[in-house]
Amino acid sequence: MLKTKSGSFYFVILGHHDNPAFEVEFLPAGKAEPKDDYHHLNQFIAHAALDLVDENLWLSNNIYLKIVDKFNEWFVSAFVTVSHLRFIMLYDIRQEDGIKNFFTDVYDLYIKFAVNPFYEPNSPLQSSAFDRKVRFLGKKHLLS
Amino acid sequence: MADKVLFEFLHTEMVAELWAPHPDPGPGGQKRSLSILESIGFRVGQALGERLPQETLGFREELDVLKFLCKDLWVAVFHKQMDSLRTNHQGTYVLQDNSFPLLVPMASGLQYVEEAPKFLAFTCGLLCGTLSTLGFQSLVTTSVTSLPACKFQVVIRKP
Repeated sequence: MLKTKSGSFYFVILGHHDNPAFEVEFLPAGKAEPKDDYHHLNQFIAHAALDLVDENLWLSNNIYLKIVDKFNEWFVSAFVTVSHLRFIMLYDIRQEDGIKNFFTDVYDLYIKFAVNPFYEPNSPLQSSAFDRKVRFLGKKHLLS
Repeated sequence: MADKVLFEFLHTEMVAELWAPHPDPGPGGQKRSLSILESIGFRVGQALGERLPQETLGFREELDVLKFLCKDLWVAVFHKQMDSLRTNHQGTYVLQDNSFPLLVPMASGLQYVEEAPKFLAFTCGLLCGTLSTLGFQSLVTTSVTSLPACKFQVVIRKP
């Protein structure tokens, strides 16, 4: 049975205690909302990849860790900031350049938010401006 | 460049403001003011810790992080590098600055040594905050024997 690749992306920012600070899904245009099952599966895959992220972190000197894990047809890619915050991306169509640019831009955006004295480090990012900008960056880098 | 002076003026005002309204400069009030200054410095340090290290995830050891503090952080905030860094390789580091910019305008020598700690509280918090963003719990204390030289002692707490 041929599984068609859905071309959607799931992005999550994990804090120091493995708590999700922010998550968003990017679906290519024209796709219907996926069933709820897939959403829980995405969270499960992202958390399961964390051990591998930590392992790769010690082996490599880079911030961007490329592909860390593979689950069925989903690839997991990670980006670790200097404060050990982890950005995890799940996707099934390989698009490394776009993902790397996306991570860098979201990191710049995150730094601007972290500098805000009203933001508690590790708390959920609930700003609608951040959400809007991340979705815009996602459309620009991932779904083009 | 005016940038250096702006921060120095702001800092002087912060200290003056926190010390002014105390009619009774007893130890309790002073401690509170010191801890307010330290926590302001801590939050600034946390933000700087996120923002300054550009692509340098090469912080393999504590020593690299301390070197980053002495070079990049000090240059960014005070426009000069720390003069010396010593360690006992067991988590204690002594950072020495022989002409600390916030103390230079005050005096040179033994005058005002008792007043110096309140001008250093913000910087202690700054170091502590930056270390905490980079993943290290620490305790920072200062000692001044003669202005404008001062020493910051950083003890990294093992988890």
